[in-house]
Amino acid sequence: MLPLSLLKTAQSHPMLVELKNGETYNGHLVSCDSWMNINLRDVICTSKDGDRFWRMPECYIRGSTIKYLRIPDEVIDMVKEDAQAKSRNRTELNKNRVANSAQNQRAARSGNRNNFGNRSGQLSGGPGNNTQRVGVSGQGNRLLAQNNKNRK
Amino acid sequence: MSGLESYINHTVSIITADGRNFIGTLKGFDQTINIIIDECHERVFSTSSGIEQIVLGLHIIRGDNIAVIGLIDESIDSRLDLANIRGEPLGPVVH
Repeated sequence: MLPLSLLKTAQSHPMLVELKNGETYNGHLVSCDSWMNINLRDVICTSKDGDRFWRMPECYIRGSTIKYLRIPDEVIDMVKEDAQAKSRNRTELNKNRVANSAQNQRAARSGNRNNFGNRSGQLSGGPGNNTQRVGVSGQGNRLLAQNNKNRK
Repeated sequence: MSGLESYINHTVSIITADGRNFIGTLKGFDQTINIIIDECHERVFSTSSGIEQIVLGLHIIRGDNIAVIGLIDESIDSRLDLANIRGEPLGPVVH
């Protein structure tokens, strides 16, 4: 399980965030990104020595300033369902990918022959070769689009 | 494969850059060594009284803040008499 998927699952849950400078922020997680930058709502900030408090409606914390996050225990069980569903999807995706890459290799092999033709055409500066080129890249794009479709 | 993979679902001891010691079950990690620790406890060392154990629960510790991750032998660890172990607390990492 990845720490950032756990964090994503913890959205809307209360949490405690301690920064490297020792300040702690208690609030509900609104959103987070892949750098661990986070948005909190209904926040209470506590100074390093724990004797001063500030209440704020929301705050944004840069991920790199975080020391650790304390998350409600039940959140870890919620990730498991997500992760399992994802890994199931992934195995199916991989099956498709293997099938597609075999297809792509065949396309690339035949495409290469055309590319050589194009290159020599380009050197001689013949404009007519462009049409052929578009045809080849068009085929590539179709394969890509198909690939992307399967990936979703 | 990262050496941490074999620690997954085992009890580990984390020493952080600020000199704290966390014990818990390693549930996950990523390429920057951010880690998920379940059933996390902090062990606070002091010279005047035994080790104080503070229950913290589920934690994500950011990789920047981690100095050491060690595998705990649970059979040895459970035999420790924490109340009678004294020791100086660690200081923070000096950069």
